[in-house]
Amino acid sequence: MGAALEVEVLKLRRATAPRVAALAVAVGVPALGAAFMAVARADGESQMAAKVRPMLVGTGWEAYLTMIGQVLSVGVLLAVGVVVCWSFGREFTDGTFGSLFAIPTARRDIALAKATVLLGWGLGLCVATVVIAVPLGVLTGVGAPGEGMVAGVVRTLVVGGLMVVLSLPLALVASMHRGYLPGIAGLLGIVVVTQIVTVAGAGTWFPYAAPGLWAGMGGPEAAAAVGVPHLLLALPVGLGGAVATAWWWGRAEAI
Amino acid sequence: MTTAHPSSLLRAHRLARAFGTEPAVTGVDLRVAAGEIHALVGLNGAGKTTLMRLLLGMLQPDSGRATLHLGPDGTDVRDAPAATWRGVGHLVESPFLYAELTVTETVRAAARLRGLPAHEARQATDRVIADLALEHWARRRCRTLSLGNRQRVGLACAVVHRPSLLVLDEPTNALDPAGVLRVRRHLVEAAGRGVGVLVSSHHLDEMARIAHRITVMHRGAVIGTLPPQGADLERQFFDMVYAAEGVDPREPEPVAEVS
Repeated sequence: MGAALEVEVLKLRRATAPRVAALAVAVGVPALGAAFMAVARADGESQMAAKVRPMLVGTGWEAYLTMIGQVLSVGVLLAVGVVVCWSFGREFTDGTFGSLFAIPTARRDIALAKATVLLGWGLGLCVATVVIAVPLGVLTGVGAPGEGMVAGVVRTLVVGGLMVVLSLPLALVASMHRGYLPGIAGLLGIVVVTQIVTVAGAGTWFPYAAPGLWAGMGGPEAAAAVGVPHLLLALPVGLGGAVATAWWWGRAEAI
Repeated sequence: MTTAHPSSLLRAHRLARAFGTEPAVTGVDLRVAAGEIHALVGLNGAGKTTLMRLLLGMLQPDSGRATLHLGPDGTDVRDAPAATWRGVGHLVESPFLYAELTVTETVRAAARLRGLPAHEARQATDRVIADLALEHWARRRCRTLSLGNRQRVGLACAVVHRPSLLVLDEPTNALDPAGVLRVRRHLVEAAGRGVGVLVSSHHLDEMARIAHRITVMHRGAVIGTLPPQGADLERQFFDMVYAAEGVDPREPEPVAEVS
């Protein structure tokens, strides 16, 4: 699988879509999180402040980093999800899927290499987001790094990492429907269903909602209701999606 | 495990495939021998591309099978191991081409996926880029290439690992006359080294110049062969097609272009 990994890394490095997505997450998420914090800390009574304040969990660094985690939970799913759809769906849209037949590298291994590279790239994005968020927090007056920061960093990375894993099943949608646009339609569907399930109060057991709730998106009470089993559901869903995609790639025809 | 003519590299055994109720390939037998350029000709929709896809495992047959004979034993293409596929190169419809990669990166990526170690892939890439006169575009991104140069890059990817068997679907249809000559020379040289080549083309005269055998397909079936050195191949071809259609050639029905 080494050659497939090498080729997928090269394609990811050279393409525009992953660069734009990376910029949106690594820069956009900390900027948005810091802006929300500034709105929440201000004394104003704006509608925005009224909406943001209930999302705060704790104070200081804990509050700031959980806010980053909440924004990251949505941002990662959208950004990494789009790149997952592009990476798999383009092979059909561009007509290159057929050229991956009748070669020594199995298509199953190429699909697994794509998933592995995207997983590593997505996790790297989460780390980059935190690396940018911490100095931004210092600059915007959260305070000197200290109490609550380590726990906040860990929580943010876990939330981001789980959402990266959860973006992998979109590869199956993009592959089975032979294009990235159906995958992106599936991504939008997931966002809508997550919203509905969360509003209905069943978000803790819905893998796409649990990380965001744990990060405080539904307030401190909803965050406390999310436990390890709820979060761990992301792993069989996400990794199962990647394995199912590899299986499908191994059996599909080049129609 | 199967047995075949000692020099056969690829065989189709009663291969058949339909798309819904539309038969695309109907019980085709075919053989490609080492050192042979075997041309497939037929009208548009005759089943040439579908046959090539079946031979490469891109499609599953409804019945019959395709076997590769690149080692001591033959293997069904559905079970062929990686080592067997390393001996195969192909360009069927869309080439292995990624818009964001340069020509050199594309060909090198193709070489790596076709089993060449990194250092060999670099050398093989430089060699094939020179062979197909792609040096001028070597550092260009593929998205900037003309259709003809994309086709040449696709061909470079198909041959970079020096396969023993080549399956090429209309490899020259977008090329200028100089490009056609270069590809023709490349195929003749490959066959001279013992490579078996299965190639489809629009151009009967081009096939007549390089092919050792010409097989005619019509409506998914093989309807005959043409002598490569024969006279007036186009007339012979249409006589064969009209006979298959049951049409009197003295009162010809409108027939689509040769492909």
